Amino acid sequence: MDVRLKLFATYRRYMPPESQGSVCDLQVPAGTQVADVLAEFGIPADGSVILVNGHGATPERSLKGGDVVAVFPSMAGG
Amino acid sequence: MFGWHGKTLRVDLTTEAVSVEEVDPQVAKDFIGGRGWAIKALYDEMDPGVEPLSPENKLIFGTGPLTGTPTPTGNRYMVVTKSPLTGALSCSNAGGVFPTQMKRTGFDQFIFEGRATRPVYLWIHDDEVEVRPAGHLWGKTVPEAVEALLEETDPRARVACIGPAGERLVKIAGIMNDKHRAAARSGVGAVMGSKNLKAVVVRGTQGVPLAEPEAMKDLCRTVRAEVKADVKRGSSLREYGTAYVPIVTNEIGILPTRNFQTGVFEGVEGITGHVLTERYLIRPKACFGCPIACGRLTRVDDPVYGGQGEGPEYETIAALGSGCGLDSMAAVAKANYVCNELGLDTISIGMTLACAMEMVEKGVLPQDDVGRSLRFGDADAVIDLIRQTAYREGFGDALAEGSYRLAERYGRPEFSITAKKLEFPGYDPRGAKGMGLLYATSNIGASHMAGDLAYPEVFGVPEKIDPLSTAEKPRLIKRFEDAFAVIDAAGLCVFLSVRYFFDPKVDLWPTRLTQLMNYATGAGYTEEELLRAGERIFNLERLFLLKAGFTGEDDTLPRRMLEEPMPDGPAKGHVVELGQMLPEFYRLRGWDEDGVPTGATLAELGLTGL
Repeated sequence: MDVRLKLFATYRRYMPPESQGSVCDLQVPAGTQVADVLAEFGIPADGSVILVNGHGATPERSLKGGDVVAVFPSMAGG
Repeated sequence: MFGWHGKTLRVDLTTEAVSVEEVDPQVAKDFIGGRGWAIKALYDEMDPGVEPLSPENKLIFGTGPLTGTPTPTGNRYMVVTKSPLTGALSCSNAGGVFPTQMKRTGFDQFIFEGRATRPVYLWIHDDEVEVRPAGHLWGKTVPEAVEALLEETDPRARVACIGPAGERLVKIAGIMNDKHRAAARSGVGAVMGSKNLKAVVVRGTQGVPLAEPEAMKDLCRTVRAEVKADVKRGSSLREYGTAYVPIVTNEIGILPTRNFQTGVFEGVEGITGHVLTERYLIRPKACFGCPIACGRLTRVDDPVYGGQGEGPEYETIAALGSGCGLDSMAAVAKANYVCNELGLDTISIGMTLACAMEMVEKGVLPQDDVGRSLRFGDADAVIDLIRQTAYREGFGDALAEGSYRLAERYGRPEFSITAKKLEFPGYDPRGAKGMGLLYATSNIGASHMAGDLAYPEVFGVPEKIDPLSTAEKPRLIKRFEDAFAVIDAAGLCVFLSVRYFFDPKVDLWPTRLTQLMNYATGAGYTEEELLRAGERIFNLERLFLLKAGFTGEDDTLPRRMLEEPMPDGPAKGHVVELGQMLPEFYRLRGWDEDGVPTGATLAELGLTGL
């Protein structure tokens, strides 16, 4: 199934070099969890904020086709 | 005394009389410092009904007990006065280097009263205080004035000053320090201008005595090591500054877009952090004593938008960028430089322009009144009108009054996205309900810094909570408002404090902050006492507002937030259910159903007989 991954702020560095900036479209098997995607890209779950379709999610969340996963480090803003 | 010097410098600008007062140690402890001492002074000395631009208003600069100590980010000051924009309080805050130099003069607090008979500036070097003529500086931009002042005082001095906007009593004018830092909100610059006070220049050599210097150094060393480890792992604030935030708030669907018509901006990729870092960043910049370095020294090389300075920050990008429909970081940076040079609050001018843009779009504001075209996305209009506002020229004279008075002039106050007439910061509360309750209840009007629940609602600090839920928000907003009052009173920066000086749970228990306060002052606070002091400060501010004529009816939000569902994005369909949160908030605060602190609450806080 198609899943879109967005990595914000300093997590941009986890993007594969051939991808465009901070967005990357993935093909993943049914039943894939967020945790699997994090592991695939070497992104630590600890200290990360995970959004699926703009809403907070845990690493255990099972993904569906068309989901947009956004991950960024928990920091603070202005 | 330790931590505190225990000394207030009072200047009556009318007579140019200068006096020094000792601060009562009990008051010092009960109100912590900075923002707390200031409200105590204003409440005791001043009628909250005064006209804000009259000589009767008092302007207070306040550092805290932790300002100028080894505490990381112990370098902030507050500007507290009655606001000409809102009629409520101003509690404006800034960093840079000025606060530390101010603390080193040996005074914790400056109180400015009256009105000088001609433009003046103050030169405070250790305990020598001079009131000097500023006629030759009046009219200068912020950078021009600072250069001139350093030449005639001391090149190592630090300056807080107003630009042309403050001089012209623009109600959204700020006070700039260290050229590029801003105590921006609520028209504090206009109050300073109304006193004919162009600048306050400080230079100090006096250290801050500490009750337990070794214990403080140990704790600070531990904290700095933790920050260092986080920076190494990848600090978004150091790499991108707060400019990394638009992409995050956009993803959650709360990025203010075209006057808060929606929370998703199709042009967000043009105004996001990596664009600033890759194209315009010279280097990160740290305030004095800060290991984070979220500041941005930037330059834009462009025939139209060329300039150099610091920023832009997230709030500026939200207000002048997506808020006005601009998708060019270069244009936003330029608008930011112009605001800083002329001494304007970027949030308020951005959202006032956005209000005007929507009113033009909807046929409420005739283009002839504006004197030029004004549409969302028009960067040239934004920059032109910023200048006109600072100089009160043409339509700028109307913009200078802020969005509420502008919209009211055309009979449509609902287009002004404000609370208590203060323009909203960069989080649409329909998608972050806690922020909605905060904007409605803060004592300065719509402020994110009065108790920034965006930390957990958006950024996951200390932990992530659901921004779309109203559950728990009354309890959390009360706690955040009290805790942020402590941070402001102590003289610290929120960015480091929330993450490192409180326990990592959303209840914000101030374990380390209490230790730091005690190592500095020796005052023996417990965590409860420290939070209660924050609560005391918040309640005294509330009493000031009530006496100034505010009621519970003013604890509200614009119709758009309460009745117009968010049209797009993850928060689609949502409004702010303020009616579900406010009664519980009043109850938790120990206020009656009209939002008035009860006698029992005031007695508990030691605020009786007022």
